[in-house]
Amino acid sequence: MFKRKSECQRVQGMLSPYIDGQLGPSDREGMESHLEGCQACRRELESLRATVNLLHRVTMVSPPRSFAIAKAAPKPLPAAVWSFGVLRVATAVAALLLVFVFAGDATHLFKGGLIEERTAQQGTLMDGEDGEVSDTGGVPAEGEEHVWPVSELELALLGVVVVLGGATVVLWQRRRRGGEGALKS
Amino acid sequence: MEEDELIKRAKEGDLDCFNQLVERYQREVYNLSLRMLGNASAAEDASQDTFLSAFRGIGKFRGGSFRAWLYRIAANACRDQLRSLRRRPATSIDSLPLELEADQPSPEDFAMRRELGEEIKRALAALPPDQRLAVILRDIEGLDYREIAQVTGSSLGTVKSRINRGRARLRHHLEQRRELFP
Repeated sequence: MFKRKSECQRVQGMLSPYIDGQLGPSDREGMESHLEGCQACRRELESLRATVNLLHRVTMVSPPRSFAIAKAAPKPLPAAVWSFGVLRVATAVAALLLVFVFAGDATHLFKGGLIEERTAQQGTLMDGEDGEVSDTGGVPAEGEEHVWPVSELELALLGVVVVLGGATVVLWQRRRRGGEGALKS
Repeated sequence: MEEDELIKRAKEGDLDCFNQLVERYQREVYNLSLRMLGNASAAEDASQDTFLSAFRGIGKFRGGSFRAWLYRIAANACRDQLRSLRRRPATSIDSLPLELEADQPSPEDFAMRRELGEEIKRALAALPPDQRLAVILRDIEGLDYREIAQVTGSSLGTVKSRINRGRARLRHHLEQRRELFP
């Protein structure tokens, strides 16, 4: 009895490939001889066959429109391509410069340009022992270090990066929307 | 023009030739999407995405069954649509009836056929996506096991198992509405 049950399970697991003619000759023969003597498995087979036949009767629907790709996929204008390329490069250059200036500032690369140093220098001039102000005007005197306007440079570069980056993103999104729209007919 | 020639020219960038391939396969791709998703507008989106992806990627087609290659792209597009369908509820407008050919030896009336079609739709929707895909490809689209293995990127054994389990579940579901059977 137990053997029979496991045999039925095995056969029922192969009913689908049997219907599709996917069984090898020995499996098929074994199955057919089992089906001859087993009414329950025959019922299973007929029921599965009825289901498969129902699925074969599902009608194909005509698509509501053509999915052909539109011929006139407009290419981005050369001017737009050019300005997008230039903007990208300019943003990258400005960002690199900004990183360089920040890094330089942080590592005291611009010796005379640090805010503290410059303030200290100005303080020295104001509180000079003899009260004389350097007569060299804005030009550093010999031996005096050049003062770099680092913080102003940083702020200006930051502004440039934000503006250029913003313009690049806007242009990139326009291009992307335009391209998708053109491909979808 | 032969399919191989169309594919060759489409690879060289000939859009007219690619669109001839679209005309040949759009019915199958749309029906696969419709049965996978059970939603007309999502099926339209999946079909359009399929052909767009195929157009962009035709250079990567390395021969073999073009239909299987296209169905593979369609199956992926359906997977994406299924994800977005989970996020937004389907409307009744998106639901197309599943129609059955009239059975000549035992003609059911139209209403009965319509109801049976709805049951099949529900039963398909209840299947796990992998089994649903295998059953649709085999029993509705008529692919052989080898092609289904190519479409799904699985072994023949896995395909057999998915079809077997999918059909068994469908049978179980439909048996509960035995009165609808001819």
